[in-house]
Amino acid sequence: MGRVKLPIGPQHPALKEPENFTITLDGERVVDVDIRIGYTHRGIEKLMESRTYTQNLYLVERICGICSYAHVVNFTQNVEEVLGVQIPKRAEYIRTLFLELERLHSHFLWLGVAGHEIGFDTLFMYTWQDREVVQDLLEMISGNRVNYAMNTIGGVRRDISEEHRKKVLEGMDYLEKRAAYYKEVAINEKTILARAENVGILKPKVALKYSAVGPTVRASGITVDIRRDDPYASYTETPFEVITTDTCDVLGRVVVRVLELFESIKIIRYLMEHLPSGEIVVKVPRKIPEGESISHTEAPRGEDFHYLRSNGTEKPERYKVRTPTLANLPAIAEMLKGAYLADVPIVVAAIDPCMGCMDRVLLLKQDSDKPGEIIEGDQLRAYGIKWYAGRGWKA
Amino acid sequence: MTTTEELISQVLQGLPVQVKRDRRIFIPVPRNDLIKTVNILSSELNINHLSTITARDTGKEIELLYHFLLNGVVITIRTMCPKDDPTIDSIVSIFPGAVLYERELNDMLGIVPKGHPDLRRLILPDDWVGGYPLRKDWKPPQESEE
Repeated sequence: MGRVKLPIGPQHPALKEPENFTITLDGERVVDVDIRIGYTHRGIEKLMESRTYTQNLYLVERICGICSYAHVVNFTQNVEEVLGVQIPKRAEYIRTLFLELERLHSHFLWLGVAGHEIGFDTLFMYTWQDREVVQDLLEMISGNRVNYAMNTIGGVRRDISEEHRKKVLEGMDYLEKRAAYYKEVAINEKTILARAENVGILKPKVALKYSAVGPTVRASGITVDIRRDDPYASYTETPFEVITTDTCDVLGRVVVRVLELFESIKIIRYLMEHLPSGEIVVKVPRKIPEGESISHTEAPRGEDFHYLRSNGTEKPERYKVRTPTLANLPAIAEMLKGAYLADVPIVVAAIDPCMGCMDRVLLLKQDSDKPGEIIEGDQLRAYGIKWYAGRGWKA
Repeated sequence: MTTTEELISQVLQGLPVQVKRDRRIFIPVPRNDLIKTVNILSSELNINHLSTITARDTGKEIELLYHFLLNGVVITIRTMCPKDDPTIDSIVSIFPGAVLYERELNDMLGIVPKGHPDLRRLILPDDWVGGYPLRKDWKPPQESEE
């Protein structure tokens, strides 16, 4: 049998955000992958040039729906650096709290998605239920489950009360128990081992060659973490370990993220027990002086990189964003080469590119003489009604 | 200064290294020296992470910023590229991770990386004819019709 080119996406059950993978198959083995992106390009970088810094706070937060806070922290850090403003310590602690709560909810979400991709939907239901505990804490403090609007230039917009502090600590006790359970599951559960072990191999050399980031490279034994290497917010004083494994496979990426849950819980406990008193915001001018600044954070998916060039007005001259998923795309192509087609969804999901489900739009008719035929939505519906009618069902 | 910054200053002695603050280093180089400088970063400093490439329209020229990462220190090579000849040597052969970032530059600002293995569109639609959106003189199509 000759080689077959199989398009996956832009709309596909294994992809939430539209991307296109054109996969060349030799039998069931992937021999080559071509990636095409841009289906949801919104022109945010251009748009930012025509909005004020205050308006941009809310635009930047909407770059991503999951790790929105990493983006807004980068943006405020950049503007504060150009201004030469030092934000109050309490504000730094609150920002770090939100960064870690975000990592918790993102990793719980990912664990569920990974479970779903390998047909382990029980894990999906469990983790997403636990994720609600984090979402409730975020909502309690900020008023929002996502896009918290906590940051402003010069600090944060909402303070943490004593009651909030207690509730966060209670939440951590519960989540720590759950994380311990998932650790057991990740290491011992046969479904996970069968589908994740030795799948989607990314050797350290290849990971470095393609400048991959985050849990994806840490699972290949590379100790990189912006929180430790280039500390921001209050990471200089919060104790945590950089988690790595050297299995270089999907299982390694599961283990890294599960163990990172414990580190995030540890950081949040430290923050809540050592929360300094004082102001949460300093006043800043509306016009930002001419200058440039680079800020990068360790978002749940890896290094999130922002560059600001200001020109002395109320609006930025140029704002550049590089999200972790883009950095990990070239590495995906390498991980997929040699893999089985059936492993493609979990390998792609293993870099955590914001996954989800969509309906199928393409059906290969097996009873047709032709090798395959594309059927559109309406035709598919009519086909379905006819099929059921032929078996005695009434529409 | 941290030890990493001292090491960088030592290795890059011949180059105009500007330490902007802790862990932020800028190196302005002429366009023709880009590959030479990137090679030094790769071979002598063993840098293996390219964070991204930023490009900015300054009027007559386009400023290119290549952001590298070494032990938490962001090392940025700054170079200029005239708009009437927007070509630059591709660094993909040294940093394969640049492959998508250079395609993005090509899409959004019309930079042509010479020697790039695969310069198809990345972000904009395949049939896009609307110019380079991140250039300052670009206007959204519907506005320019009015």
